[in-house]
Amino acid sequence: MAELNRESGEDRSGADETVTDTTVAVDGISKVFRQQGGEAVRALDDVSFTVREGEFVCIVGPSGCGKTTLFRIIAGLEAASDGGVRLGGEPVTGPAMDRGMVFQEYDLFPWRTVLENVTFGLEQQDLTETERRERAHEMIDLVGLDGFADAYPNELSGGMKQRVGIARALAVDPALLLMDEPFGSVDAQTRGMLHDELLDIWSETRKTVLFVTHDVEEAVTLADRVVVLSGGPGTVREVVDVDLARPRQRTDPAFADYQERLLSLIHES
Amino acid sequence: MSIETAADTETATPTERPPLAERIDRRRIVLGVVGTLVFLAVWQVGAMAVGRTYLLPSPLAVAVAFGGELVKTETLSLPLVGDVTGSKLLVKLLQSLMHYLPGLLVGTVLGIALGISMGWSETVEDLFTPITRVLRPIPPLAWIAFAIVWIGIGHGGATFIVAIGAFWINFYNAYSGVEGVPQDLTEVAASLGVHDDWTMIRKVVIPSATPELMTGIRTSIGQCWMIVVAAELFGAPGVGYQIINASQNLDTEVSVVYMLVISLVFLASDTLFRRVERRVLAWRN
Repeated sequence: MAELNRESGEDRSGADETVTDTTVAVDGISKVFRQQGGEAVRALDDVSFTVREGEFVCIVGPSGCGKTTLFRIIAGLEAASDGGVRLGGEPVTGPAMDRGMVFQEYDLFPWRTVLENVTFGLEQQDLTETERRERAHEMIDLVGLDGFADAYPNELSGGMKQRVGIARALAVDPALLLMDEPFGSVDAQTRGMLHDELLDIWSETRKTVLFVTHDVEEAVTLADRVVVLSGGPGTVREVVDVDLARPRQRTDPAFADYQERLLSLIHES
Repeated sequence: MSIETAADTETATPTERPPLAERIDRRRIVLGVVGTLVFLAVWQVGAMAVGRTYLLPSPLAVAVAFGGELVKTETLSLPLVGDVTGSKLLVKLLQSLMHYLPGLLVGTVLGIALGISMGWSETVEDLFTPITRVLRPIPPLAWIAFAIVWIGIGHGGATFIVAIGAFWINFYNAYSGVEGVPQDLTEVAASLGVHDDWTMIRKVVIPSATPELMTGIRTSIGQCWMIVVAAELFGAPGVGYQIINASQNLDTEVSVVYMLVISLVFLASDTLFRRVERRVLAWRN
């Protein structure tokens, strides 16, 4: 009840006008961890921002700023100490199929083939075997892995594994694609390729993407808007609109300007 | 010739195994045969030097006794099936299997069930940790006293002892296997719509812990043969009982025959299970 009252106060007017096209509303999230010995550590402090439908938003910040904690709260894997997340107006209470997750580590089911990994979420839905396989093959084609449907994850390269992760997340048609440093452990060349592919997939599927990274170049390459977090405890320092036409060129002076601006925002904190 | 075969294997698909001739390492085979022959010769000479078969039966005496045990027939009354007559050696083996297999099966199923429950649920873990810590170090054979007073030392008692052995081995492997399931995998599964424990256990926990489960089963397949012999020394019928029975009649060459039977059965079941394991865990290679 207290939460409802607070929401109907100051934030309400702003939320109302964007309610139709706001997919994610992160509202006043704080997170306090209690360490052994009872000492409380505040990881996030009053973090608020919104993501519009179809938007590509990156969250950047120095390491230890609570990016991953924020990711886990939005994913529903952890509860906020205060505040809440709304997805399409509904409060997030736990992990669910409306948020597809892609982690940094290769989190594929190693005992399942590429196809079986992609059908995993579909198996929890009321679909026939044929429908599942068709949908999965569609996704495998989308990420450019046709021909590898029957391979096991340990037969794939890092970049290929991460593409399977994306296909698996997209297969259940989530409202939001949540990615936590998904390309953190692939080499630079593969990473560039995966960026291009992710943007292609994004423009093809029109998914809303929330992408956590510590790499400002990655953020400027991908994002419509960048939420810059500052550390200890994590708060929103600024939300930067990246007003660059795609495909973006790293050699473009405007690209470098954005990069510098993000870097200085991070370093000031 | 050798150059041609090398070229041939290079063009073969990587999943295909190389031809049999290449997989056999001649040097190892020759040395293995030589070592075995030397061992047998030393044994034979030693037995001849000792001069009394019951003290040290010679390999030749053992071979003769092996043939004898195979040829002798014995009749076994089985429930439901009725009387079965066959080679004595095979009948004894069948008797051992009659408590080995049910004991292994019951112990494995219960051990895996408790191991998974304790690994997965903190409540179950907290409930049973103290008691399992205390009971696990007790050697299965120490339960023989209760096996005798509760069930008697026939197939039932021996099954009980074997089951206890299989139980702890599988319990421990399943428990640590489930503890080792990466959190990322259960979180991804939850984000893909798995919200109940049973589906999570069936679709993520068990497959992820399968390597450990397989290790548990394979270890217990071997260990339970050791337990079978020990349990039969107390009087349950089977190959283990034959070892002690024959030596009491000073037919120690027959004892050696049944010692070898255990070894052969162990090797056969282990080889078979390794094959099953390789197939089940094909995703790891």
